[in-house]
Amino acid sequence: MSNVAITKVVQIPVVTAEIPVGPQHPALHEPLLLKVYADGEEVVKVEVNTGYNHRGIEKLCEKNTFYRDVFIAGRVCGICNAVHANCYVRALEQILDITPNRRAQYLRVLAMEFERIHSHMLINAVMAENIGFDTLFMQIMLDREKIMKAKEILTGNRVLADFMMPGGVRRDIDEVKRERLRDLLLKLRPQVEYYKKVFEEDLTIYRRLVDVGRIKYSDATSHSLVGPVARASGVKIDSRASDKYDAYGEIPFNVITRTEGDSWARMMVRWDETLESIDMCLYILEHLPSDGNPVVDERRLPRRFPPGEAYTRVEAQRGELTYYVMSDGKSQNPYRVKIRTPSFNNIINSAFMYIGYSLADVPVIFTSLDPCISCMERVTVIDLEKNITYKVSLKELAGGRI
Amino acid sequence: MKTPKLLKRVLKNVASCPSTIQYPREKTSIEQDFRGLQYADLTKCTGCSLCAIECPANAITMTPIPQEFEVPRTNLRRLYPRINYGKCVFCYRCVKVCPVAAYVVTNKYDLAGASRLFSDEFSLATAKRVRP
Repeated sequence: MSNVAITKVVQIPVVTAEIPVGPQHPALHEPLLLKVYADGEEVVKVEVNTGYNHRGIEKLCEKNTFYRDVFIAGRVCGICNAVHANCYVRALEQILDITPNRRAQYLRVLAMEFERIHSHMLINAVMAENIGFDTLFMQIMLDREKIMKAKEILTGNRVLADFMMPGGVRRDIDEVKRERLRDLLLKLRPQVEYYKKVFEEDLTIYRRLVDVGRIKYSDATSHSLVGPVARASGVKIDSRASDKYDAYGEIPFNVITRTEGDSWARMMVRWDETLESIDMCLYILEHLPSDGNPVVDERRLPRRFPPGEAYTRVEAQRGELTYYVMSDGKSQNPYRVKIRTPSFNNIINSAFMYIGYSLADVPVIFTSLDPCISCMERVTVIDLEKNITYKVSLKELAGGRI
Repeated sequence: MKTPKLLKRVLKNVASCPSTIQYPREKTSIEQDFRGLQYADLTKCTGCSLCAIECPANAITMTPIPQEFEVPRTNLRRLYPRINYGKCVFCYRCVKVCPVAAYVVTNKYDLAGASRLFSDEFSLATAKRVRP
């Protein structure tokens, strides 16, 4: 690291106030500590402290069988459970060398797009709540119920889908369900258009969000930001368009980008993506192929996994999510499962965004990143024998090499 | 700048209460195939333990069937899966892997209360009692 030139030195004034934002729900109801140093009202430095919610999911995956891990992967995050499961399942499919039929691929995309719609509506509602616009929060959450119902009809549960399985999906839809889903989406679309208009025209939102937390294109790329955060700064990055996994190659959609790069642009990207997702879902329901049974018989799935490794990525609601799965061919458990979530990139690298803005803008900027803490937490060690808890530093983990 | 008319919607919703449910007097509307409480039908179960092995939450323990109940001849070891609903994540892996499709699925979701923590009463109700 010695050859990197220092371009900017942040001097913390002697008289600064250290203000902890969090770890009790700084934006969403999840634990993360933003240690904010303020000079008067102006933020001069922010430290992002994580580690309050680490659950050891990767180790848990190594201790369980490949198929049990499908459900464990789905529980990394509540809001993006279908994408987590999909990413893991596609990794297993690569190792097993099986391909699901087209109907199953379409249904997978449908479940993931439902999830995108409800996630984007949730974070827009939370943003309204955080700026003190509670009425809008309630209104958006009321209409979000429609998509939760749609997810219940498709997957059998409102939140945790448990919909993916290597070789296909776990439930099919019939004509009656198809019509009900279509009705729900057609009812939802004008509501989303209305909320988008509210975000465009309302004076409160305009004053709180516009020109707050501006990220330049160069900053977005140099800090490896992903998802709607990068797309709002003009970076056209979307795994759905670049990888064309599952049925995304056959379903028409646009990658939404904006050039403003501020908090408002990030929320507007999410509204536009919601509308785009609703159109995609309607397209899927219209053009659902009938090339066989998408439901995989879980009793006939292969019990032995050949040695091999797979690296898959999906575009989760918050950006690019990647899974690395390795099988040694000997045991029924994966040798290694590595998860890299989009929030990890976006939140760890977010400290530079707050500098120069006022203290009241910190929650706004933080919410506009759509943080998902349970996704990103990765090391606390709990020793049950000695009954102690301690943290392992990065240096110890790397064996003293850094 | 023109402001959208949010107030009209709010007043309409205050009057109509679009999402208020008087629970428990009024039940939440749930799909017929919602993944709710599940239990094994002891007239079909062979006691093979596959569901207990596959359960991602380790919620199933194979338990001996009491002597006063009849069991099919296929269930040589006289075992049945006892589900701990407190641990269960309702993924229905047990339902899907069962080789004899012995699981009964329902859309029951209101599981609060001490008496419903395990699946014994539901499973044992499916078996016939031996006549003395």
